[in-house]
Parts: sequence; C-alpha cells; structure tokens
Amino acid sequence: MPLPCPKWCFISVEQLDYKRKEMSRKRGVLLKKKILVANRGEIAVRIIRAIQELGHTAVGIYETPDTAARHIRIADEAIWIGAGPRCDYLDIDKVIKAAKNHNVDAIHPGYGFLAENPDFAQACADNDIIFIGPTAEVISRLGNKVIAREIMAEAGIPMVPGTDNLPEGDAGLQEALAFGAKYKYPIMLKATCGGGGRGIRLVESDEQLKEEYSIARSEAKAAFNDDRVYIEKVVVQPKHVEVQIIADQHGSTVHLGTRDCSIQRRNQKLVEIAPSLIEDKKLVDEICDTAVKAAQAANYTNAGTVEFLVDSDWNYYFMEINTRVQVEHTVTEMVTGIDIVRTQIKLALGKKLLFSQDDVQIRGFAIEVRINAEDPKNDFMPEGGKMVSVYRSPGGYGVRLDGFVYQGFTIPEVYDSLLVKMTVHGYTWHETVDRMRRCLKNFAISGPKTTIPFYLQIVDEPEFQSGNFDTSYIEKHPELFDYSDDHSEVNKLAHLIAEIHHKKQNTYAI
Amino acid sequence: MNRIVQGMSITEVLKTVRDADGYFVCNTARDLSQSDFKNRILLHTDLMAAEAREKAGYFALEITGGASVHVDILRKQVDPFLKLKLLREAMPNTMFQTLCRGVNLFGYRPYPQNVIRFTVKEFAKYVDVWRVFDFMNYIPNMQAVFEEVQNAGKILEPCICFSTGPEHTDDFYVSKVAEILDVTGDEIILCIKNHGGLGTPKRIGSLVSSIKDKYPDLVIHYHGHNTDGNDIGRITEAVLSGAEIVDAADHAFTGFYGPPPILSVIHTLRDYGKEAVTIDEDAVIASSDVIRDERPHYSLFESQFKGFLPTVQIHKLPGGAMGSSLEQADKGGFLEKMPDILHKELPKVQKELGNYWSVTPGSQILWTTAVSNVQGEEDDRYGNASGDLRNLLLGKYGPFPFYNPPEWIYEKVLGADWKQVLEDEGGVEDIEDMDIDKEKEILTERLGKEPTLQQLVLYLQHPNDAVEFFKFEEEFGKVYVLPPSIFLKTGGFDLGESIKFTDHLGKDHVIEIGPSQANEDGETTIYMNVDHDSRSYQMAAEQAAGAVAVVTLSKAEIEVLAKAGDYRAPFAANVCEVSVEVGQKVEEGDKLVILEAMKMQTPITSTVAGVVAEISSSVGDAMQAGDKLVKVSDGEDDE
Repeated sequence: MPLPCPKWCFISVEQLDYKRKEMSRKRGVLLKKKILVANRGEIAVRIIRAIQELGHTAVGIYETPDTAARHIRIADEAIWIGAGPRCDYLDIDKVIKAAKNHNVDAIHPGYGFLAENPDFAQACADNDIIFIGPTAEVISRLGNKVIAREIMAEAGIPMVPGTDNLPEGDAGLQEALAFGAKYKYPIMLKATCGGGGRGIRLVESDEQLKEEYSIARSEAKAAFNDDRVYIEKVVVQPKHVEVQIIADQHGSTVHLGTRDCSIQRRNQKLVEIAPSLIEDKKLVDEICDTAVKAAQAANYTNAGTVEFLVDSDWNYYFMEINTRVQVEHTVTEMVTGIDIVRTQIKLALGKKLLFSQDDVQIRGFAIEVRINAEDPKNDFMPEGGKMVSVYRSPGGYGVRLDGFVYQGFTIPEVYDSLLVKMTVHGYTWHETVDRMRRCLKNFAISGPKTTIPFYLQIVDEPEFQSGNFDTSYIEKHPELFDYSDDHSEVNKLAHLIAEIHHKKQNTYAI
Repeated sequence: MNRIVQGMSITEVLKTVRDADGYFVCNTARDLSQSDFKNRILLHTDLMAAEAREKAGYFALEITGGASVHVDILRKQVDPFLKLKLLREAMPNTMFQTLCRGVNLFGYRPYPQNVIRFTVKEFAKYVDVWRVFDFMNYIPNMQAVFEEVQNAGKILEPCICFSTGPEHTDDFYVSKVAEILDVTGDEIILCIKNHGGLGTPKRIGSLVSSIKDKYPDLVIHYHGHNTDGNDIGRITEAVLSGAEIVDAADHAFTGFYGPPPILSVIHTLRDYGKEAVTIDEDAVIASSDVIRDERPHYSLFESQFKGFLPTVQIHKLPGGAMGSSLEQADKGGFLEKMPDILHKELPKVQKELGNYWSVTPGSQILWTTAVSNVQGEEDDRYGNASGDLRNLLLGKYGPFPFYNPPEWIYEKVLGADWKQVLEDEGGVEDIEDMDIDKEKEILTERLGKEPTLQQLVLYLQHPNDAVEFFKFEEEFGKVYVLPPSIFLKTGGFDLGESIKFTDHLGKDHVIEIGPSQANEDGETTIYMNVDHDSRSYQMAAEQAAGAVAVVTLSKAEIEVLAKAGDYRAPFAANVCEVSVEVGQKVEEGDKLVILEAMKMQTPITSTVAGVVAEISSSVGDAMQAGDKLVKVSDGEDDE
C-alpha cells in the first residue's frame, strides 16, 4: 500500500536521519519502498543504483538469457519472468504479476521495452503501483505523433510542416503527393506510432512515394500494430537538439538545458553532448523555454525530453517529446549535477522539485559515447554471442561509466549490443574532447569488436573538435571508418614483447 | 705512441704497426659471439660496450662477418649495415674488421663474381680491415675479394688457414704466403688463422718465425681460439716470434671455444717484456664491467658442454662451429654420441678427405659427413653423402691441398662410374654472373617497394631469410633497441612487470604486462599497458599437440617410396629449390628438389623416368623427415 508523503520530507539531513531512525524504531521500515525495475542492461543497473542510494529496495526482473546479467546480481531481489527473449520484458501481465507478488510499490520502466507503452502505465495505476514517469494519458497522447503535433500547434510551438494522419487508401496517397508538391521533396513518411528511429522512411520523389506508400503502411502495421502514417517535410542536414524536462506533480516544470545528439547513424544516436554547442545563447534559451512550454501544454510530469531539429539558418522545429529517461541523460547529469533518475523516483512518489529553474546551472561540457559490441567496419554488425575475455575500463577525473558487462560475460545475442556508456565531463569543450580521447584509449575490451576505435577516429576529426557537425556528420566523413591497427614504433615493439611473453620465448631469436 | 684510427691509409697503418715498440690487440667480439654464444650477442650489448671499447685503443674491433651477417638477419633481427652504422657513430676512431669467406663471402657456398664485388663494395663503406680466407687455402677463391678490398682502399688481411698433421709443415705455409703475396703485393697484413686453436705454443712460434725469416717486413696478425685453454701460450709464442697483432676478447664474456681474455694476454706478455701498445687497460676493464650483467640473459646460447675441450687437437672443429655442432647434437638427440663423433669418426673422415682445413664451409662438410656416418648403417659410411661433399670431391671448392681421398669414397659418393663423372663435371667452375637487375625486380615485387642497395646485398646472399627479415622489421620495428633481458626472455614476463626501453628515435617507453586470456577457439589476448595506454594483442591459437598427424617414416620406408616415385624428405630440412614442374618429364638422375639442412644442400634426384605428377613442397618450406616432396609417375597412366 502506498504511503502518503510525510510533510518533513524536505528537512535537513540530520533531522531526516533522526526522524528516519525514530520512524524505523516505531513503525518498522515504512519509509522504505520496494521499486521494481522493468528493464535490463545498463539502464537497469543505473536505476537500481538510484533506488539503493535512496534507501529503497530494488527488485530486478529477468528473462532466461539474462541469467548471468549484472543487474540481477546487484538488485536486492530478482524475479525470473520467463524464457524470453524480449517477449517477457514486453509482457505487461507478467511484469505486473511479478510486482504484485513481491509487494512492489513502484515500477521504473527505464527506456525501451514498456517505457513508452501507455497500457503499461495504466496497468500500474490500475494495480495501485506507482509508475515512475508521466501518466498513461500523457504517454498515450505524446506517443501519437499526430496528437502530439496538434497539442504543440495549439501551444504555438514551431513545427516542421507536416500532415495529420493520412486517410486510408488512395486518398492518403493523393494527400501525400499534394504535400510533396507544395513543400518539395525530400519528405519523411512516418509511422504514427513509431519512434526511436523506427518506422521512418525518406521519400525523394513522386515515383518513390507511390511505390513505398503502401509498403510503409503495412510495415507500420507489422511493427506497431497500427498502420497509420503521416508526412513531415525533411529538414536537410539539421542539428538534433533536445531539452531535458523535469516536472513535478505540483505544477513546477523546469528544463535542465540542451543536448546535441546530431551524431547519429541511421537515426540511431552514437555520440551525445551536453549542452548543445550552439553559440547563440539567446537561441538556446528560446529553445529551452519553448521546451518547457511544450511540456506544460502536454501536462507533462516526471522526466522527459523535448526534441528539436535546428536547420542551417538556425530555425528550430519541434520534433517529439520522449516520455522516458533517455540513454543520454548522463550528459545532462554531468553538466547540471542533478541526478535525473533519483529525481524521477522522488517526483513519482509525490515529492516536490527541490530546485527551481534559477538553481539549474550548466557547468562545462559532457560527452557520452555508446560503446557497443559492434563492428563499425562491418555496418555496425552486432558481436553478440561473444565472451568479453578482457574488460578494463578507464578511471580518473571527469569520467563516468554506466555499464553492465564484466570480464567473462557472454553478450546475449537476443538483446541490444550496448556494453557500456562512457560519459566524460570537462570545463571546456576541448578539455572534454581530450578527456574522451584519453579515456577511450584507456579502455581494453577483448572478445567482441567494439565501437571504441570508431569513436577514437571521431575525437581526432577536426570538424568534431571544432563543434561543427549535424545529423549528416557520419555520412560526410567516410574516412572515420578508415582506422587500422596502430603502426607506431612502440606498438610494433610491444607486439613483439607480447609474442615473447605469450610463447615464453622469442621464436624469432631462438 | 700514435693510435691507429679509422680512416688512416694502409701505408700509415702498416708503418705504425712496424714502428711500434710492442704489439697490437684486436678485439674479436664477433668471433666470441659466434664461438661461445651461437652468434647471439645483440647490438644492444655491443652498443653498451662501445664507449669503453672505443677508448681501449684496439688495432680493430671485429664486429661483422663470418656467420654473423646471416645470424643478424635470421636470429637477431637487425640489419647488418645499420648495426655497423650505429657502431660507427658510437666508435668513430676504432677500425672495424670483418671475416670474409672468400668466394663464399658470409655464406656457405660460392657466389658469382659480380655478387662478390657488389657485396664487398657495400660492406667496405663500413669495414676497414678485411680478413679473407678460403678453407682449401686455394688463393684463386679469394682473388675477387682481394681486388675489391684493395679497390675500396681498405686494409686487406689474407689468411693462411692453419691446421696440424704431417703435411702441415712450415715450408708448406711459407709457400702459401708466397702465393698470396704474388697476388696481393706487399701492402697487406698476413693473418695466421688458427680457428681451431690447434698446435702447441712451440708449433706456432716456429710457424711465425719461418714466415718472418722469409718475409721480415710482413706484418703478421695471429688469430687463435682458446678451445683447449692454451691460446695465451700460442699468442705469447707468436708475439715473441714476431707477430705484431693478436686476437682476444672482453673477459666478461669469454667462454671456452672463442678468443681468450685480453687482459690475460697483456699481463702474460708484459712479463716477457712485450707491451700492448696504445691499449688503455682501464678501458679494457671498463668494457667488461659495463656488459657483465648482460651475460646471464645469453645463457640459453652458451655451450651445452661446459669446460675447455683439449680434444680439439683430435677433432679439430673450429671454435666457431663448436656451438652450432653441440646445438645440433642436442636438438637431434645424439648428444651422447658426441664423443664418438668428435674423437673417432671426425679425425678419420678428416684424414680420408685429404686433411684440409676444418673451417667454414669445409668444417660443415666434415661434420655432417661424420654425423651421417655415425648415424647411418655401420657398413655404409659415406652412403648418405650431402650435395656439398659431392661438390668437394668434384673439386668445385678447389683442389685437395695434399692428397685426394681414396677411390672407394669417390665411388661411394659419385657412383660406380665416378671416374667418368669426375672427368665430366670435375674442377672449379666459373659461376655465371647473376642478373642483379632481375634479382632486384624480384625483390621489389616481394617487398612491394624498391629495395635499398643494402637490402639487395642481403637478399643476394640469403634470399629467403633476407625477405623474412625485411617483413619482420616492417611488423615489429627496429628491435635492436631491446636488451637481451627482453629480446631473449624465456618463460614469459611476470604479471604487472614493467618493461622499459628506448626506441631507435630516442623515445622512452614503458610497457606493463597485464593478464592473458584465451577464448574458446584457443586464441589468446595478451593485455598490456603501453605507455599507459591499454592495448591488447591477439595471439593465434597454437596447434595443439597431436592435432596434426605426424607421419614418421623410417629411412628404409622413405627409400622404398622413392623407388615408386614418391619422394619424401629423408631428414628434417628446408626446401631451397624446386627444380621441376607438374607435368614435366624427368629422367633417372634428374634433380627434383634441393633440400638444405645445417647449411648443407642435398639434391633429391629422380630414381625413375616419368612425369612429375604432384609437387607437395615449395621453396622455403620446412620439411620433417617423411614429408612429401614430389611424386613422379611412370607416365603410362593416362589419368
């Protein structure tokens, strides 16, 4: 049974400690909540850490392929929910059942899986479980791209020209063709229920539109069980700038500044930066204020992200609101000092925001890279199924790791290939880039190929170093893939020393 | 007393030596390395000693030549030219000396004239003193080298190889000196090359006196080995009898088969009133002190037999061949037969083969023949003759100096019609000049880039080994910067061990050894911190023992197969030539492949007439006994 929030929640630490002890003595561990993490991988670890820091009990769930996963080792309790793969993490009934069986007070959905499924948020509400995130209604409305656009249009948020949901059959195609004629190609054909880079199709001509329109619909049907699609004008080579929003249930909404996630490959983010490197301070403030306005228009609560596209003339357009904690939330945490996941939990439990907009200060820069078990040279082919035979990670000032692999861990083939997120923080942009380079070099992962050498190429690339990049960056820099083994003299000699060490003699000298 | 310094003309050098009130010492570091450390003393160690050696005031430092050029690229992975260049920078005054095998240069068989001249020309850029010998003391074999050395304005030091026995009289050697002087003129230094350390001090004294009686102005450089522990006696007698230059080495590294310690020579002769002129004794001591701690890292290459070997007077193997012979016996598993080979068979073979001088490549012929005789069937001595023994009997290396071997040996090696064979094929033959431009093209193709002249020189002498070395350097860099404690490390490093070295550009590095991890496929990842960056190195899976079915065939089985046209390697060897192509018609006696083992080449010839059906070997392959080489079918099968 959820407990009302005691009034003295926001008193000093000493008092709190005293009260806590007193309460514990009198009434058992009533302040202690049990929170289930409906996720896996690094984000499960990240959330469990926050839960445990708050003094709550963390409950993990897992499918069979995750039997050796780290998140269930560090969770206070772990519940096997099925053989998987993926289907059980996506199974609302099973997750709710597990939560109820273990007397769980709240559920954090992480990102992916059920995070943006309004049915799941609703199921939590129906079962007296706190869903750590916005309400089912908000998720539902913002999850529908067309409704989201309507809300934003009403609030006067600048948007990329687009259509409502296209009517079924030929009428839809005709409307699409008319849009193409009016706003010129290229245009984007988007699944209404898509997201995260899925269900998007670039169309460059009438012919292509005619050809692919019905394919797009049937794909949307297959992927999201909803064949509705709509059209947006394509902003050519935009920057992807997003704003972290955080709102309590008491009417307070603040932003935590911007992130630049322009460095993407096929709409999948690879490198994320906070804050955006846009130099025009006024523009950045305007974008942030717009984001707050958008969140308020949607009655948003808890943490969310308002995504914008910024074109080469510095026009910005609302794209969507993500109603979950994002992979890249770490960069915002580094530059603001605010623990977003901890705040999410507290806000979901009904607490007020501890800080106002004026309290939010951006200090320095942070970069996050997603270190994936993938071979960048082979079209980022996942390296799942391989064992991580060596895992050594960097340390030192300004480096943060959010991972879940360990030496000896075999990467399951059935989930995504993210091994660890590395976030570095620095006082200036160049310091941050330098730190990122150093930390990438300090990594040693053997077994699977990783994206590390690719990121090393990026940090040495002059345009990246000067902050000059947009969503076409990877495409424009094919040379980033031209990395090879280090041919430095010391590496050659080290190679020989490795052989002498391994073979227990120098076979070239005996 | 004026020091002899690099760059002096031969006339100046000879005058300085003749005018000196005492004798000069040559530091034969190369000979020490070859005789007592299987040629493995690294450039790193020589560079450590360079400053003190430069100060010591030697006549010269012998630092290249002999087998060292080959071992430099084969086992030390250092460019022999770069080695000389770096040492020259560290030792600007000291003359460098080489040992050259005449027509065989730094290899094991005769090279064409144009290759000899090209090679000498390139090495002469760094080498001041050229000690040249021929194992048959056959002067024409050395003539091309003589000429090129003199053309280059370098000091020529022709040798008379010395040995013992009834034929080896003073008169004989004096006549050999006359032959040399006829060709070279007076502006030379004569070397008495006592590579085995044979004879007594008295015998050497007598030899030097005889030569000096006839040629009082001829400068004599005595070279000996300390195999029997008595070389200082011989050196003493040589100097007392008039030799002006003697060989010795740094005491921190002296062993049993190479040169004796320099200081002992100096101290001994001082009591006889002879001074080593221009020698700085403190610097001699300092040279040893600075490299002493390196010696333990070379222990793997020190002799299997510890102790002096006075029986050298019986077996006569030169110091330079002792190490490799023992190594071969050890690896071949016949170490226990060594007394038999050394003390019974080898002296017998020596007498049978004309009592010539046991030095490269002649010593290898004597050695392999003796080993083969002992290893083979008891009544089948000379039954398994190497190609080089055949060439020796055919006179390819020059005429036998005293007498020819008995006829039964000719018959055994050359066949029943040996007289005809000898008539048809016998005698020294001129080796056709090599098309050097064409070789350069081939090398360019193998390297993927234009070779330097020096690379070409190395390639012309040891084609496969040179290419291997160039590729090694491409992959592993300039490894001469690694001390023996790293380069020759055995048993692996300790986890967490820090390894420090300075690369050839002068940059310091530190490597920390991390963990090793093997995956399911047996591939191992070696993890190291290189200059504080984490790096990993993938090592291919090693072939598990027994993974490859080893076919071992007996010698008899191999012979039976050969009669059926299925030619197998009769012993472990490298393929150095495949002489036929698939589909080619061959007659009985035609050469199929040439194998090389222990530097000796052995042709495998067809025993049947037919067509080459299958070739299972290619140049450079390492074959084990019983491995398939070539199949010859009788040609009647249509398939």
